[in-house]
Amino acid sequence: MNFFTKFSTKHIVVLSLILFLNLAATAQTIKGKVTDSSTGEPLIGATITLSGTTEKTLVRLDGSYVFKNVKPGTYQIGIDFLGYESVSNPITISAGQNATAPDVELKRTTKELATITVSTGLRADDKSARRLEKNAEFVQNILSQKTIELLPDVTVANAMQRMSGITIQRTSSGEGRYAVIRGMDQRYNNTLVNGIKIPSPDNKYRYVPLDIFPSDLLERLEVIKSLTPSMEGDAIGGTMNLVMKSAPDKFLLNANVAGGYSTLFSDRPFSHFSTSSINKQSPAEINGNSYSADPNGDFPKGNLLFSPKKNPINSTLGLTIGDRFLNNRLGVLVGASYQNIYRGSNSDFFLPNAQPTTSPGNDNIPVFSDIYIRQYSTQTSRLGLHNKIDYVFNKNNKISLYNLYLKMNEYQTRYSVDSVLAIQRTGPGSGNVQITNRSRWQQQSIYNATLQGDHQLTSNFKLNWNAVYSIAKFAIPDMAQYAVDHAVYTDPGTGQISETQYITQKMDRSWTNNKDQDLSGYLNFKYSPVLLKKTIDISFGGLVRHKTRDNYDNRYVLNPVLVGGAPQPFTDFQSAQYFFKPDQGKGNVTAVTFNNYNFKEDISAGYVEAKLMATSKLQILGGVRIENTQQKYVTIMPSTVDAKEGTIHYTDVLPSINFKYALNSKQNLRLSYFKSISRPSFFEIVPQEEIDENFNIKGNPYIKHSRADNIDLRYEFFPGAADQILVGAFYKNIQNPVEWYVVSAGGPSAQQISPQNPPSNATNYGLELVLTKYFGPFGVSANYTYTNSKVTTDKLYYYYNNGQKNKVQQQTRPLQGQAKNIGNVSLLYKNQKIGLDAQIAFVYTGERISLVSPIYNSDYVQAPYSQLDFSLEKKIVKHFSFYAKVNNLTNAPAKWYINQTNTFQSGKDILPQQDKDNKILVQRDIYKITFLGGFRYKF
Amino acid sequence: MKNIFLNTTLIATALFCFSSCKKQAEDIANIYKAPILIAAPISDAAPLCGAIKGTMLSGKTYTIGCDVIVNAGDTLLLQPNVHINVASNSAIIIKGTFISNGTQASPNWITVDGVVKNDTPGADPATDPAFAGKWKGLYADTSCYLMVLKWTHVEFGGSALGSTTAPKIANTSNTTAFTILFQNYKGSFVMEDSWIYGGVDDPIRISNGQIAMFRNTEEKGGLNGGDGFNVKGGTVGDMAYNFFIGNATSGQKVSNKGQPIGAPTSYVVMYNNTFVNCGYRQIQTGRGANINFEEGAGGKFFNNLAVNCKFGYRVVNTPVADTAHLSYGYNYQYGDSLSVANQFYPVGYITRPQTTDIPAPAYLPSNYTLGSVYDGTSAVQVGNPKFINYPLPVTGGVKLRDISTVGSFNFRLQAGSPCIGKGYTGINLQPLKKVAEDPVYGVTFYPQPGADMGAYQFNGYGNNH
Repeated sequence: MNFFTKFSTKHIVVLSLILFLNLAATAQTIKGKVTDSSTGEPLIGATITLSGTTEKTLVRLDGSYVFKNVKPGTYQIGIDFLGYESVSNPITISAGQNATAPDVELKRTTKELATITVSTGLRADDKSARRLEKNAEFVQNILSQKTIELLPDVTVANAMQRMSGITIQRTSSGEGRYAVIRGMDQRYNNTLVNGIKIPSPDNKYRYVPLDIFPSDLLERLEVIKSLTPSMEGDAIGGTMNLVMKSAPDKFLLNANVAGGYSTLFSDRPFSHFSTSSINKQSPAEINGNSYSADPNGDFPKGNLLFSPKKNPINSTLGLTIGDRFLNNRLGVLVGASYQNIYRGSNSDFFLPNAQPTTSPGNDNIPVFSDIYIRQYSTQTSRLGLHNKIDYVFNKNNKISLYNLYLKMNEYQTRYSVDSVLAIQRTGPGSGNVQITNRSRWQQQSIYNATLQGDHQLTSNFKLNWNAVYSIAKFAIPDMAQYAVDHAVYTDPGTGQISETQYITQKMDRSWTNNKDQDLSGYLNFKYSPVLLKKTIDISFGGLVRHKTRDNYDNRYVLNPVLVGGAPQPFTDFQSAQYFFKPDQGKGNVTAVTFNNYNFKEDISAGYVEAKLMATSKLQILGGVRIENTQQKYVTIMPSTVDAKEGTIHYTDVLPSINFKYALNSKQNLRLSYFKSISRPSFFEIVPQEEIDENFNIKGNPYIKHSRADNIDLRYEFFPGAADQILVGAFYKNIQNPVEWYVVSAGGPSAQQISPQNPPSNATNYGLELVLTKYFGPFGVSANYTYTNSKVTTDKLYYYYNNGQKNKVQQQTRPLQGQAKNIGNVSLLYKNQKIGLDAQIAFVYTGERISLVSPIYNSDYVQAPYSQLDFSLEKKIVKHFSFYAKVNNLTNAPAKWYINQTNTFQSGKDILPQQDKDNKILVQRDIYKITFLGGFRYKF
Repeated sequence: MKNIFLNTTLIATALFCFSSCKKQAEDIANIYKAPILIAAPISDAAPLCGAIKGTMLSGKTYTIGCDVIVNAGDTLLLQPNVHINVASNSAIIIKGTFISNGTQASPNWITVDGVVKNDTPGADPATDPAFAGKWKGLYADTSCYLMVLKWTHVEFGGSALGSTTAPKIANTSNTTAFTILFQNYKGSFVMEDSWIYGGVDDPIRISNGQIAMFRNTEEKGGLNGGDGFNVKGGTVGDMAYNFFIGNATSGQKVSNKGQPIGAPTSYVVMYNNTFVNCGYRQIQTGRGANINFEEGAGGKFFNNLAVNCKFGYRVVNTPVADTAHLSYGYNYQYGDSLSVANQFYPVGYITRPQTTDIPAPAYLPSNYTLGSVYDGTSAVQVGNPKFINYPLPVTGGVKLRDISTVGSFNFRLQAGSPCIGKGYTGINLQPLKKVAEDPVYGVTFYPQPGADMGAYQFNGYGNNH
């Protein structure tokens, strides 16, 4: 408190000086000047208000403003400008005297930690987004709140796909979840909330599932593609910064409510299960690892009893209230968002055998073991709550507290009919059919609390600090699956089909949970001395973060009881009987694995950067960041086991430099270089194991973190308020990329798939184009990105040489997730007279590898995918509008292929849905059309 | 000037870091290494635990009190007439060499003390100690180059391997439940004249290796799945004169699945094996047999005798066996019931009927296609093999699956058995002889194919149990 008092006193001294000067003036006029704090440019058009009056004026071309004939008294001069922090300064004017207000340098509301914002009212639109992009010190793209509201999307992940250079990875229900930025897989990107890194609830990776964020909590969405030293260095593809709504400058009330429907469930019912019987903890967690789980009592069957739900209705609710109190010193914003969405997909999936087949003259041919016809029913409920409180002690001292809580529950039923191709099958119509039912309740949550302070220590020395606590949790309690199978025979003579009795198969029950907790402190200083009449901003500071992660995993396999020494006929699930094979119900066997671990990570970073105008047109921002990483993992494994624990540390020096050359007031040329890193996920470092029939999957504590050199060149043209043309090119060279492939480890016979650093670097280059143009009531927004990446890894190649043989063969391919061509086109219609906004949005994602196979030439490649969405918003009465969002208008199927000659179009090995001669279709998902319609209230 | 100076400094710093900071960025990993246990001399005075090596002496009984390990480079040798009682659900882990040198007169035992077998026909598998996994098993790691079992009883294995005490063994999980695992395609696995009783998953899993498996008897192999001798990618060798009764799934199975890089293609020569009542506890529909070749595996099978197995000799179509290198014939089948005879050529497989098969496949329709349904009525109860003491058709109200041990039965052939003299002994059938002959450290001798069907030759040759 002393700290603040001290500065308040100082402030008063400054104020009285100003007052004294004012008293010396002679006429009743107030003059002032407003410029950009970093460029010194006049902020033409900024709005100036005088409290207690209706007086309003605009900043003139030279940056000045004037109020004439002002009555004596004390006023607040309010200064607002799009994309800038609002400022309010007191001024007193006496009779017969003029006053000159101190010059004001407005600060941009960039994502930088060095700012806090007092006003939001005007920042939410497209124009301010363009302004931010134009003035940013680095390469970035922004989606404004208004754009987001109007988008057909209700989650951040889906909104993301509208941005330049971004593709999204979808869940099995077609919902976007992760973002691939410029062809760089989600592992190479990081996610910030208000500039603060948040931990991921993901059970394996560091990247944050973006579908946990309801988009209506956002003020804007930024994707930063070139880093500066003040930013965390673990983003090779880019940094996603979710700027949440902050306290407004006046009373604000926004509300929306909507209902919707997926047409998928007009063809079939939604399959629902009850979670009431689910134990949150596994039998071993409850009773200890030496406890022998009771196959009946400890595994209630309630979550495997499914009931149909006809025509489930989706609903979304959003509410945001904000205001300022205590003479505008205290700002408060509270927002809540709730979504309950029923989605699903119908999926055909052909499972390739882990090992390809060979025969004389035929090498490395995929062979399929199963045809799965799957129906997913997924209910997702999202709750987002956040609030921001800021308090302005005085002009020089502000603090704010931000709280964010996100919770996502996903209830998923998967019904699979598996036509078993492997082993006993002569062709279509005969063979084994296995039916599996799975229920999965996935809980994820993120809580973040950030206390932030901004202090102007002297006129050119600023301090900004953040104290952050975050916790991310993930749990899948009692994921349950059971299976039954039977055989179908066709008599070749009579054509008669006979089926054998259904036999009860295994039942799987598993509990997994993890928790990531971060404690971080950020400290940033900015010193802006004037040297040779130019202001140089020198920033320095750093952060420390202490992360602890706990991971728990326990999987039980129950076997059907043999009845009279024979397989158990299946009648209904309730009466199915299960037992454990010897010892397999004990936590000592099921839960003592590398998957149960504790991970600690300490990051400490420091940076120094300087920003200056080298010439009146050339801005240079450069510096260096040093990040030190200390990691330690401890698994539950006993001391007889190698790699049961370990420590890893490294220090990175990350230089970066950004040049921004203003060709004129509307055009910029940017060039930047930065070095960045990517840390392997916890799941990859800890030598956790999954044993597969053919391949053992194993983590690799010797994996190295990736480092990348990144170069960006971009031309920007902002011809009108919200119009833009951006043309950019980038090149990335990634040392020690992390790729999963087969290695021999330990002995001649030990083969495993592990995360590895391939011996050669990966490269990625591309070109980005963005175009936004408004003409009259219409607008077009389009972007296109070309990406070309290369990485070479070892693969297994099977060939026939007097019997099946195999060898390691290298294959060069694009990075996983990278599409060569991606693009978006949106057509907008805006009629202010009738209050109508409408948008048709088209997304195209070119062919890309979605899953890297350990086998040569056998990667899963997703076919080009395009989706057409529609949305509109229509004002009904004042403050009220109706809005609608329609997704996937064309019901585009998502398809995956293995790019090899298709020998599965006929014959006994025929696979359904095949539509290409040179590609084997391996998966096809149908999501159908979804509708959402509702009302928005804005005050 | 100052500006320029600052700019230059910045750029210089950047360049300097770009060129020289690589070294600092190296990941320095310090990962835990488990200490190597020092092998203790073997004593029969106290339960054995931890690393052991040396010789177990004839006539002595040893107790294994917790997981024991034979380190790489060390050998554990059992002289004849050694009795090992494994206690406390332990494993014998072999990273070095394991030799159990039993003899006909003085066999060795690796068993569990005080367990009473329940061989009543039709005993409930849920309570049968054969399937209860009373100890873990003999687990060879990839560093084991030689494992030899001669005249050795191995019983009651197959409890979950777990990970609490064992040094981690390659290619296993906590729930792995084999009785014997071998995994080194450059190493040799020899099993002669031995008995394996019970088990949970595969009683014997050869992930890869050079093998010689002769004259063994397996009873009650596998609980509700698991193949008797289950060999995977990179396994080459011979299986002959083995006798199986009451296996959960197959008796002898060969696959090239999981072939290590550089390992040979799986290829196993099988002759004169007998399979009785196999395949009835496998819960997956359509699986379980006597002999099974699949997924890229080649080899031969001749002169085998299968009685009342749930499915016949299986050659798998998807993923297909190496049919270019697979030959078979002169195999004998007998079935009490139509359901058995209807699967002599199992439905859904590509086993090619051979004219030398017994009974001759004349009961198949003229338009028979591989793997299709047929009516085997005329093959039911044809060609009773006339065992010395085993009633066929099975009588006494027991089901075929209920008889899963030898007990007091005798599966040698009576005079006049139709199995006598029907086998193939020509030049095209010879053991591969992948393992060197040696009275202790290798194969005792390579048996020649026998003229009589199955493991027991009428002249006493073959299986000696």
